[in-house]
Parts: sequence; structure tokens; C-alpha cells
Amino acid sequence: MPRRNRSDGRDGTRRPQRHKGVPGDRGVPRTGDFRCVQCRLDVPVTAPGTAHRNHCPNCLASLHVDRRVPGDRASDCRGRMEALSVSVRPDGEWLIVHQCLTCGELSANRIAGDDNALVLVRLALRPLRDGSVPGRILLAL
Amino acid sequence: MSNPSNSLKISTFVCTWCDLTVSAFAADGTRRNHCPSCLHSRHVLDQVEGGPTDCLGRMSPIAIAVLRTGDWMVVHRCVRCDELTSNPVCKDDNQLILMRMAVRPLAQTPFPLEAFGTL
Ligand SMILES: [Zn+2]
Ligand SMILES: [Zn+2]
Ligand SMILES: [Zn+2]
Ligand SMILES: [Zn+2]
Repeated sequence: MPRRNRSDGRDGTRRPQRHKGVPGDRGVPRTGDFRCVQCRLDVPVTAPGTAHRNHCPNCLASLHVDRRVPGDRASDCRGRMEALSVSVRPDGEWLIVHQCLTCGELSANRIAGDDNALVLVRLALRPLRDGSVPGRILLAL
Repeated sequence: MSNPSNSLKISTFVCTWCDLTVSAFAADGTRRNHCPSCLHSRHVLDQVEGGPTDCLGRMSPIAIAVLRTGDWMVVHRCVRCDELTSNPVCKDDNQLILMRMAVRPLAQTPFPLEAFGTL
């Protein structure tokens, strides 16, 4: 799926790019490939348009390894993190909000160039499709 | 969430974003975590360690999430330390602001929606 090219107008207020298992980093094996905890897909860590992959491009699931700072890998939880919702940064970039099924912790992660677009759109539609609120709102207006 | 008024038994807080003075409890008795008008909040609880935090940064609403019950949650992000929280919406939260947050991803998709037929 082709991505719309956005001018890279980052506002500079966000923390710098996370470092997560980048091959060549000290202490990280050169191969950071992983098997998805949810759909068992073998995920190569490098792919076009994905600088620092932290979730499965097929089902968007992730693993709880970071504690406070994205990329710190300081958490012992190792729970499965499920895609919970989509957030849009001021510059228009999509983030997936993940929630750990073991401990409830939340994290926000940039989408990657090869994430499954249909799964992303379904995730974005969830509040409108499954929520009890939209009907109430439309009735109230 | 903001300064609880210490002069009155009726507890209120002043919104860190829009300065609205808000009663700390909604009409149905549930404790508010965010301003019902602009949905902004304040970082008072440490999600990682549990218990109170010294951060007290403003938390801006960044996403709507859906519980299995169908109820909506507001996901907040602290502008000071980036910590995330999720909190139930209140009955009297500004419904248009909630709806605007819910549709924002679809209005700004990173790929053309024309490629999708029916979902
Ligand atoms: Zn997967
Ligand atoms: Zn966890
Ligand atoms: Zn407010
Ligand atoms: Zn904070």
C-alpha cells in the first residue's frame, strides 16, 4: 500500500527516535528478527519505511519490554501488548496505542511503512463501530 | 485534574488547559479525572510505580479507546513526561470533542482510503 508522503514537519518537541533492537547497537544481536506473540508471523526487523520496528506488521501486537522510556527495554513484564487505538500527532503521523494484557501499561508507537493498512483502519473505526457512545451523541444533537 | 479547593467541602479543580472550574465529581457521583469541556487532565498518578507522582504535568487527550463493554475511554498523554493513562468518559463530557477525537484518525489517514472497498 503506497503511503502518502508527508513533509517531515516534526515539531521537535517529541523525544528523539527510539532505539529498539537496532542491529549493530551494543548488546543487541545483529539479527533482531522476532516471532509475533499473537499471530506467530516471523517478522524481519528491517523493512522499507520501518526504522525501528516494535510491533507485528500483520496484527500490530507487541511485547511489553520497555519500562518508562520507549526503547529502554527495562521491563520484566514480557506481557503481550495489544493494539488498543489510534492516535494522530499534530503533524498528522499515526500512532498505535498499545496496552499490555498482563499489567495494563500503555505505550504509543509510530506505525511502520509495511503495517497492514486494513487492520489499521479497522482499529481506527472501532470507537465508531463498536462504541456505545456515537449513537448516544447523534441522538442528543 | 488540578488543585483541589482546600477552602470548601465541595471539591473542585481548575482545568490546567481551559481554566474552567469543575466539580471533582460528576452528577452520578463518579470522580472526574479530566475536564468535561476540553478533556484535558493533570498527571497526578504514577502509572508505572503506582501511587502519586510529583510530575503534575498537563495531560492532553490523544485517543479514544473502546472497552469490551462498548464504553469509551480517553487516552491521555502527559506533555511533560510522556506517560500515558486511560480513563472512562463521563456522561457530561463534551460529546462533540469526543466525537472529533474519535474521527480524527480517519480524517488523516497515512494511506489513501480509496483503495478500500467495503470493510
Ligand atoms: Zn502478529
Ligand atoms: Zn506489562
Ligand atoms: Zn478544560
Ligand atoms: Zn507527567
